[in-house]
Amino acid sequence: MSYMAMSLHAVNHRLTNIPVKQLPPLASCLAASLSNCGELLSTPQSQKSKSDSDNAVQVHKLMTRLASLLQDRSVEGRWTAVVLVKALVEAGQWEVLRGCEPFVRGLIGILNKPDPVSTKKMSIITLTRIFHLTYQYPTLVREITTPSLPGFITAALNLISIKPSSEPTRKLKPNTPFVDIVLNAFAELIARHPTIFRPFTAQIHSVLQAIIGSTEPTYPESVLEIAQQLFVSLHNCAPKNTSGEEWKNACRMTIASIHATSSYVLRAVVEQWESVDPALRQLSMPQNYSQEVGNGPDALGLSSWQGLPAGVSRLVVLLRMLSKYLDTATASTVIIPLGSILDLCARLNMVTYPSDGEIQANQQIGRAEREHLLTELPRIHAACLRLLVDLVKAFGTAVIPVAQTILEQALWVFRAEKFSREVRTAVYDLVRVLLPHMGPCMTKQGVSSLTAVLRTCCHDLLPPPSNQAAATEKPDPKSKSKASQATVNADSFLNPGLKPGRQLSSSPTFANLKQASSELLVAVLSHTSTELITPALRAEIDRTIIITSDKNAMLASVLNPFANMQGRGVGTSIMPFLARSYSTEMEVEALIRPRMPVLMNGPGANGYSVADDDDEEEEETDAVLAPQAPTETSGFLKPSATPSLHQDMMDVEMTSSSSSPSLNKRSYAQETEVQSPARSIATEGAQSKKVRVESEETKAPAQPSLGAASPATFTGTAAISVPASSITATAAPKPVVSTTGPSASSSVTAPQPRAVAAAAETAGDDDSDDEMPTLNIDPDTDDEEEDE
Amino acid sequence: MLSECFIASTAASGKTPASASLRDVGICVHEFQPTLNLRSTFKKSSTAANCLAVSPSHVFAAQSEKAIVHVYSREKGNQEATVPFPERIRSIALAGGKNGDVVVLGTEGGRLILWETCTGRQIATTASHLRPVTSLVVDPTSNFILSGSSDASIHVWSLVDLLSFTKPPSGRDRQAPNSPIRTFSNHRAAITSIAVGHSAGRYNIAVSIAEDSTAIAWDYRTGRLLRTFLLSANATCLTLDPVDRAFYVGYADGSIQSVDFYKNQSIQHPLHDPSLHSTPVQPSAEDRWAPPSADSGAAHTLTLSYDGMTLLSGHQNGKVLSWNVGRKKYASTVADYTHPITNLIMLPPTGLSSPSRDLTRMSHTIVKPRYDHTLSESSQPAGTVPADYTFGTHLLPATASTSRPNQFTSAFTHAYFPESMLEEGLAELAAFDPGSTPGSSSGITDEEACAKDAQIAQLAGDLAVLQKKASIHATARQATTDEVTQLRADVAHLHDYINELHGKQAQAQREKIRRQARKEARETRRREAWFAAEKKGRKGDAVLTKMDAEDTVMTSDTDDQSSDEQ
Repeated sequence: MSYMAMSLHAVNHRLTNIPVKQLPPLASCLAASLSNCGELLSTPQSQKSKSDSDNAVQVHKLMTRLASLLQDRSVEGRWTAVVLVKALVEAGQWEVLRGCEPFVRGLIGILNKPDPVSTKKMSIITLTRIFHLTYQYPTLVREITTPSLPGFITAALNLISIKPSSEPTRKLKPNTPFVDIVLNAFAELIARHPTIFRPFTAQIHSVLQAIIGSTEPTYPESVLEIAQQLFVSLHNCAPKNTSGEEWKNACRMTIASIHATSSYVLRAVVEQWESVDPALRQLSMPQNYSQEVGNGPDALGLSSWQGLPAGVSRLVVLLRMLSKYLDTATASTVIIPLGSILDLCARLNMVTYPSDGEIQANQQIGRAEREHLLTELPRIHAACLRLLVDLVKAFGTAVIPVAQTILEQALWVFRAEKFSREVRTAVYDLVRVLLPHMGPCMTKQGVSSLTAVLRTCCHDLLPPPSNQAAATEKPDPKSKSKASQATVNADSFLNPGLKPGRQLSSSPTFANLKQASSELLVAVLSHTSTELITPALRAEIDRTIIITSDKNAMLASVLNPFANMQGRGVGTSIMPFLARSYSTEMEVEALIRPRMPVLMNGPGANGYSVADDDDEEEEETDAVLAPQAPTETSGFLKPSATPSLHQDMMDVEMTSSSSSPSLNKRSYAQETEVQSPARSIATEGAQSKKVRVESEETKAPAQPSLGAASPATFTGTAAISVPASSITATAAPKPVVSTTGPSASSSVTAPQPRAVAAAAETAGDDDSDDEMPTLNIDPDTDDEEEDE
Repeated sequence: MLSECFIASTAASGKTPASASLRDVGICVHEFQPTLNLRSTFKKSSTAANCLAVSPSHVFAAQSEKAIVHVYSREKGNQEATVPFPERIRSIALAGGKNGDVVVLGTEGGRLILWETCTGRQIATTASHLRPVTSLVVDPTSNFILSGSSDASIHVWSLVDLLSFTKPPSGRDRQAPNSPIRTFSNHRAAITSIAVGHSAGRYNIAVSIAEDSTAIAWDYRTGRLLRTFLLSANATCLTLDPVDRAFYVGYADGSIQSVDFYKNQSIQHPLHDPSLHSTPVQPSAEDRWAPPSADSGAAHTLTLSYDGMTLLSGHQNGKVLSWNVGRKKYASTVADYTHPITNLIMLPPTGLSSPSRDLTRMSHTIVKPRYDHTLSESSQPAGTVPADYTFGTHLLPATASTSRPNQFTSAFTHAYFPESMLEEGLAELAAFDPGSTPGSSSGITDEEACAKDAQIAQLAGDLAVLQKKASIHATARQATTDEVTQLRADVAHLHDYINELHGKQAQAQREKIRRQARKEARETRRREAWFAAEKKGRKGDAVLTKMDAEDTVMTSDTDDQSSDEQ
């Protein structure tokens, strides 16, 4: 606190003593110290102690000085004041806000002065922030926001537009640097203060119409986006309880406007589409085909356009606006016309680039316009697919009823226009967002319909084929993708190590496309049933993943291993590649060396310290077993060809069998087991206990095969890693058997005699047999005594 | 503030509650942590087990022995609607992820009814169960419905197939539409309850209990049995650990049993170890936790706290008991609602920042099922979405993390202003000249300003051109004067040079004359000397050579003198 008081004092001192002209370079560091004084500035000022009153004086001094700086004659003074007011308001919260009325006045004043652009921009942001922060305190809203917000709106509108005195609308100023900031500020405030904005809706609406409908000087993407968002948000200002209706009308008008525009834009072809809405079926306006394509003011009141490029741009802007309806917050419950939106998308997606034969042409339109339209189609479709992506994102699981419809549209467009990078990116995104909602339920036909998309996706991710291949393929652009695909595959299967090294080419990278493709691969692997993906496709996906070293995709592939067919050998996993590429990542660690997700017993229930020790030693076990871990985990869920021993430890032995030197013995033991008929339940307590003793001996000879290099280490850890079962097993010769009986019963379900047989076999062969059991028993008995 | 609540529903009974606040109450929202107290109540409801479902906005309670569902609004705290259905409802579940937009109802007649609460669309399936559907769960991906019936079978339904307008291409053509995709029939008696694992992956499990005293863990994606547990009695209720490590069952005597999947420490996942699939397991009696008193009655329902360490059970005598999972025993009595408690649902804690659970939209009111046939498949051409298919919802503001940052938002949320913006401002200030734009813009409209700007710009251009010309002239003039002065200087210099040369010439002339004179004088002298020697009779030549020797000395002297003079 004393530090804060001191730094506040220092700020005050500098503000008053340094000439105003030299303040701006200091503003940043002054603001930083102010924002560090947050605690002091926001504490309620009581005059009780001396230090408190001193602080209060300092705060008051600071606020007065800033208020006067806001009115300062020099530009530098005002600039500094704006920066510091923002810092002060952010730090001080309510304590400062309640006295910030002079600031608000000063800041609005700056908007009307001929100050530099940055001063005005920062004033707008600061004012918006003040109004934003006061929103949670109704008294402050009443005292500060309500009186000054209309002034702010007018001043801000004056910055970007001119109001002819007679009309209620405004005319947009050309080339003003403030459009972005002002619209952002309005979008931030309009939902919270709808009644204050209500008188200005007509003015804002006219400005937005000019921005959105502008075809000649087009505005940057960011400005268009915020303008569309604000346009959608205008429904907040509708009189009481009609906002939902207002939203619906605006949305319907947008859809109608898109329909009208596309009727003109698509006039060069004969549309096959028939609306599901009877009202739209009669929508065929007479057109003058002799004129250049163009449209007058439409349902939304946007200005007219002339020429196909302008028409397509307008269509794209309107489609983007429609998706803004889906991701902008609404004032209340709205009725989203899902059916109409899908109908619209169906119409636009129905007209595709003719892959074969001639498109159904409208004979009244010249060939030039038709060709122009066909080249612009991917742009329209990409926008349309983006709309569907936003729709799926907004609806989440509620999209399930229409998910299949959307997917079919996407695949339809993809088939016709996969040459376009935008369309491909959009299709990948759309399929990716759809898969979580419908992937697990997909049937074989459903998954195979995605094959083309997935192949192209892999192709997009892979580095471009080598120059040689490209050269041979170039003369035939139509079949290029497929043919080069084949060559790449053949090459890479023959010598997979050679290619990636030479291919660090400088070809342009399409970040969006790459990202969409890799995310799609992750989604496909995690959300569709892996057994439905054909082996060839799966191999291609895995190959792509390995070459691109995409961690998420690798994880997805490992977590959803390829389900091998019956009798086709061991399933493969790309886990070694994952372990090599990302050995230090936490996910990989968790995957390869899982910490057993056992329910921890509470303290006192079963001896907290013991459980703890066990846990630690388990980790050691994991470390010892590390080299074998991949095979273990890839064997997860794998229907093994040989039936396994029905005993706890037998899992370890089985997984080790692949790497153990005593391979023959293991398999022989398993074979003997196959021959013996399965006896499912061993209920006889005494007998089973005896059997357990013997099976424990079975384990002992088995262990050297696991830890061939250091048998002693291994037996120690192995014995501890299976506390529950080994306790009962080794306890058998001792008199304490009866106490451990109940806990053992869960594990006593194996048909033991077979294990005995196996034990007999192995005991006969194994040399280290005689000393191992003693090593094994010691730690176990220790455990036993602790439990007692 | 961080708080955790549970919702309990009761079945009506003859008893009257002790406290007046619980009269008529059928559903209670009870704060569990940090302090135990009754938050709110919903009245006039009597539900059987598995007949309560809770979405973020609503509570759906299927009334026992009736064909109606009561819908309560959680925001308004009142009963919003009473929705009638053609059959008695025996179980209820919500599909649709975190929003819970689709209500799935299991009917007395063995069919499922799906009701989209945001659109009013309703779909009924075939009556695939032969007996009433008594338990329903929806898997975490909201793709599968698991329905258990008194006929001992469990059907797996594809939610996508049931709801989709366009029927996906399927190899299931031979089956009737809206029928289950898979049936699990390993139980031998009526299914009591089903619980589904918490994984969204393909190795998710389901656990079901039936009146044949078994609990079976199985893989609902393939229908494969994973493990059979032989319980000591008929379990009445079931819940699954949040990490799927164990499940808990309640018995008719009020006791609880925990069944730990990881009892056996194997390297493979114990449930997915194929060697163990055919082997039933008998959980030890030690894991059965006794109720505090014998009069608690049957445990009808179980639920776990968020951390999975506290188990709540609802009992016949109206008590909610809490059990400590770690200590494996009864902990305390949480609440007493007098009537038998049939459903307990733990709500996700409020106050935890979990972006995955943040809602992006909210349905404040439900749309009752519409019975008009515009939404049924028959009136529409196959596979199209009808134009009047509308979706009522409230889109909520996106959280800051989802929206893309731009200049405005980054400045807006910054403690003062981002460094880049300040630097830009400083640069502008440095370039800003207050004199150039006097404060006169207020009275001038912008067209004028524009026009003036243009004029000024033009004038400035002209001025620049003129200045350039003038400067060219000036430099040219400067160049000529320089040249002239240079020339003059050269001339003067040349004059000087000429004078100097003249002087030298004159001097050389004088020198020449003098040397001539000297030479003549010497000649004269030599001649005189020769004549004199001849006169004296001596050989004149000898005198001459003598004189020559003298002369060389002299001439060398004079030459030296003359060279000095020059």
